[in-house]
Amino acid sequence: MFCLDTYLRESEDYEIHMTRSGFKDCARFIEKNAPEVVHVNPGEKIVGARIIGIPPVPIGINEEKGTIMLPYTKPCYGTATVEVPVPPEEREKIRAVGID
Amino acid sequence: MKKAIILLGCPESPSQTPLTIYAAHKLTGMGYQVTVVSTPSAKKLVEVSDPEEYYIQNKTDIESCLDGLNPGDYDFLLGFVAKDAAVSYFVTFYHILNTKSLALVFHRDQEKLDNFEKTVRENTQADIASARAYHNPTPLRVRLDRALLKLENSDEQSGEVEKKMETHKEDEPNKMNKLDKPEDS
Repeated sequence: MFCLDTYLRESEDYEIHMTRSGFKDCARFIEKNAPEVVHVNPGEKIVGARIIGIPPVPIGINEEKGTIMLPYTKPCYGTATVEVPVPPEEREKIRAVGID
Repeated sequence: MKKAIILLGCPESPSQTPLTIYAAHKLTGMGYQVTVVSTPSAKKLVEVSDPEEYYIQNKTDIESCLDGLNPGDYDFLLGFVAKDAAVSYFVTFYHILNTKSLALVFHRDQEKLDNFEKTVRENTQADIASARAYHNPTPLRVRLDRALLKLENSDEQSGEVEKKMETHKEDEPNKMNKLDKPEDS
């Protein structure tokens, strides 16, 4: 199973669009830049990690690139916007837990 | 036994650790079993402040706690909110646990304080105790006392209702027995 934390630790194939930001700025960036946006509840498990944030939390999906863009929050470092490649079934799982 | 979780944020603010010990002491006195959930660095500060674990016996890492957290795991959530990330964590814990909650919102900058408070208010039904605070824990401690008193009163009220319901339940079989008894003819 895909695990975001492990992936970010062990791979370099991901993009950080924003870092040490506020959640709202990251959410705005995803809404503006992702071709498809799915909103989920905070606490929802997305790619093996609980999503931290203010509801509704936007997750960007880019089918063409095969990536998702999501807010990634750590207590001392604020929120980052990361874009990671995930398998198609993980993108489907995100759509399935969407609240739109 | 009722269970309370104290959610710590980044340990940057000097008020957080003493108020954690204080809140744990108060909640234990109110009959709660307290668990403190935090980052490793915030945990170290608590460990050094309470080396004999006199005030806090249960400490958990924030990531592993969040991973296994389920609705109903705790009866009360108390969260320290002094940063944007802490707002997100508090709101997330609130939405997973769906329980009685209190946000202790504090910052030295009034604009940030207002902004954190507004976000918590708009996204949860939690009680909020907020104060401009950084080094001095007293303003926040006073508001925490008030909020915990309110919690204690509501706990007592719900305890009385439960007691009444139990008494009612105990009475019920007797009533049934009386009803079951054949009428004297």
